[in-house]
Amino acid sequence: MTNGDADGLEGTIWPQVDACLAGITADPERGAQDLIVTIPKDEIIRGLRALKGNADLAFDYLRCLSGVDWEDEGIDIVYHLYSSTRKLNLTVKTRLPNEDLSVDTATTVWRAANWLERETAEMFGVRFEGHPDPRMLLLPDDMDDTFPLRKEHPLAEIEVLQGEGIAYGEGVQP
Amino acid sequence: MAVGPATGTTETTTAPPETRPDAAPLPLMPYSPPQEHPAELPRLTPVEATPGKALYKIVLPGVMQAPADLVIAACRKSSLWPMTFGLACCAIEMIATYMSHYDLDRFGIVPWPSPRQSDVMIVAGTVTKKMAPAVKLLYEQMPNPKWVISMGACATNGGPYTRYDRVLQGVDKIVPVDVYVPGCPPRPEALLDGFVALQEKIMEERGATGR
Amino acid sequence: MTTAVPDTPAFDHEFETQDLMINMGPQHPSTHGVFRMVLTIDGELVTDVTPHIGYMHRGAEKLCETMDYRQGIGYMDRTEYLANFNAELSYVMAVEQLAELEAPERAQWVRMILCELNRLSSHFMFLGAFGTDVGVFGTAFTYAFREREFIQDLFEEVAGDRLMFAYFRAGGLAWEVPGNFEARVRETLELSRRGIKDLDGLMTQNEIFRARTEGVGHLSAEDALDWGASGPTLRASGVPMDIRKDEPYLFYDQVEFDVITGEHGDVFDRFQCRVNEMWQSIRIIEQCLERLEPGPIVPDRLPRMLRTPPGEVYCRTEAPRGEYGIYLVSKGGNRPHRLKIRSACLSNLQALRDMTIGGYVADAVVVLGSLDIVLCEVDR
Repeated sequence: MTNGDADGLEGTIWPQVDACLAGITADPERGAQDLIVTIPKDEIIRGLRALKGNADLAFDYLRCLSGVDWEDEGIDIVYHLYSSTRKLNLTVKTRLPNEDLSVDTATTVWRAANWLERETAEMFGVRFEGHPDPRMLLLPDDMDDTFPLRKEHPLAEIEVLQGEGIAYGEGVQP
Repeated sequence: MAVGPATGTTETTTAPPETRPDAAPLPLMPYSPPQEHPAELPRLTPVEATPGKALYKIVLPGVMQAPADLVIAACRKSSLWPMTFGLACCAIEMIATYMSHYDLDRFGIVPWPSPRQSDVMIVAGTVTKKMAPAVKLLYEQMPNPKWVISMGACATNGGPYTRYDRVLQGVDKIVPVDVYVPGCPPRPEALLDGFVALQEKIMEERGATGR
Repeated sequence: MTTAVPDTPAFDHEFETQDLMINMGPQHPSTHGVFRMVLTIDGELVTDVTPHIGYMHRGAEKLCETMDYRQGIGYMDRTEYLANFNAELSYVMAVEQLAELEAPERAQWVRMILCELNRLSSHFMFLGAFGTDVGVFGTAFTYAFREREFIQDLFEEVAGDRLMFAYFRAGGLAWEVPGNFEARVRETLELSRRGIKDLDGLMTQNEIFRARTEGVGHLSAEDALDWGASGPTLRASGVPMDIRKDEPYLFYDQVEFDVITGEHGDVFDRFQCRVNEMWQSIRIIEQCLERLEPGPIVPDRLPRMLRTPPGEVYCRTEAPRGEYGIYLVSKGGNRPHRLKIRSACLSNLQALRDMTIGGYVADAVVVLGSLDIVLCEVDR
């Protein structure tokens, strides 16, 4: 075993993953359904490529790529992997510090990451280095200054359009 | 003596109809809601219905005389062509209204996929700020006279998504809306009711040639 | 996939063509909502496609993070509005796993019946819309909507609304199904059987339809997996991947059904996959009806305000269009910290480039129709 200890990970695929990720720092954790592995952001693409190329695991299918905003602690990028031949699931995470919100693109591993990364980039303000098509995906082109899914992004105010002429009772706020 | 349309036409041009007072709006006899349903009364009856004064008169047997704007309005309201333009969930209910169960065709309402030949735009769904320029362009591409039905809560004021800042809080910020249909999504019956309300509105503003 | 522009050197000078860019959408009758693609064509052949999405991005994820768990159900309905029950199921199952609740047996059987019925109704919608895309405006649509309305009526009796049900709750169901539920489901299934037969005969046996769809929009199994496609789009390419079989949820491990796969990965296979899936859905519902027994529909101890411990869960189910996943992260409390909707259509739509480039411009619409996209789910 090169990484971490296997306490509480019995019955998971951690031994195979550990062998596959030899030479890469990886921190395992038991999730509600799947095994969660945290890899530092410098090694994430190397790790993902190893997971895809491994004959035992063969994570050839990228289910989902998303970001989670942990405010002061940075932003997590979460990869949900699936192996269509071995029927295995794995969650891979990497933490980006707020000072440097950039990570290498996973489009070189799965093409499926293309749009998912574009979406994550515009929603969280994360830069994916080497992305082949770094345009906006969902938002209009002129709205690239704020990042809606960050926690500090406020909700819009509701415009009260019909409140002027309405009489309210004493002490009742419209 | 032969009774033909020519006689009626001559009379129309020579003698203006006497039933029309100078400044007062025309009475709306055949289109006023029935009196025994007071719950429906306040909706779209800005013009008082005066009994006994019809909009048309029988000049001769088989010849009817009516103001031209009334005839034009009746033609307009009977063949509304809405643009097939679905935005979101409401589009499914809109399609359901067109299809066999509810059958909008019996109102003369036929969907048409191009804005250039359409009369009505049904804004069925949330209008986002990315979509807003396209909606406005589509509205401008429609020829006059044209009407807009805002279908559902999202098109009316943003609905459940109103607190997201990429969503336009109501399509009436970019195009003028004639009929608002409430619901999330409105049932097909509600959209039918919206069309009927639009037809009544067209009859009321019959002098207008559009905006 | 390489561009298959025919290379005819003899006519190089005479037929030198210029690439032409065609904009399709966002308002276009065949784009199933507001989808825009810019096609670059050389004569009749498509050389490049640039899809533009996001016209329906309305922040369901963000809004769900500001509301409690029960309020989020309504947003799931509105995100995937053709398969509402399947979308709700993903969400409530994610919340249940996080809150360590378990729905009673009866609730799970009812959920299965309703989800499969929703698959039927969603595929009916596909058959109608696809008929329009291929060029039979109205005919297929009218037939498909007739059948769809019968299912919709049943849903209305159960949930009280035609489209936005909000009937599944974390822990079970909102209320008990009507007393004649089983009889009504059987009746609806009879009607659906007739409807599938009608539409199948109308379209599958049609020679023009076959000519329009066979061999068009080919997607290989490797490409489909690499693009992250799922559902009938992936299975038509020959990959037998179905979450109901691979990681059974509800009681899918206790019923018998087949995973339908195609061979060629073309438009016709995708169409046929869906039609055959409908027969499988009917098969599943019939088995569910036999197993449905009276019992409670919510757990004994269900808190009024649901709170979850910190944690995260990625819950995936097989919706009609593919994998509908909910990634739910909780910091504790009564609202999610992060809710990510994994949209099947978004991933399927990415593969559009591979399928369209090299084909004819008229086939682009057919290929897009065969993906059966719901734009609200793509953009969320």
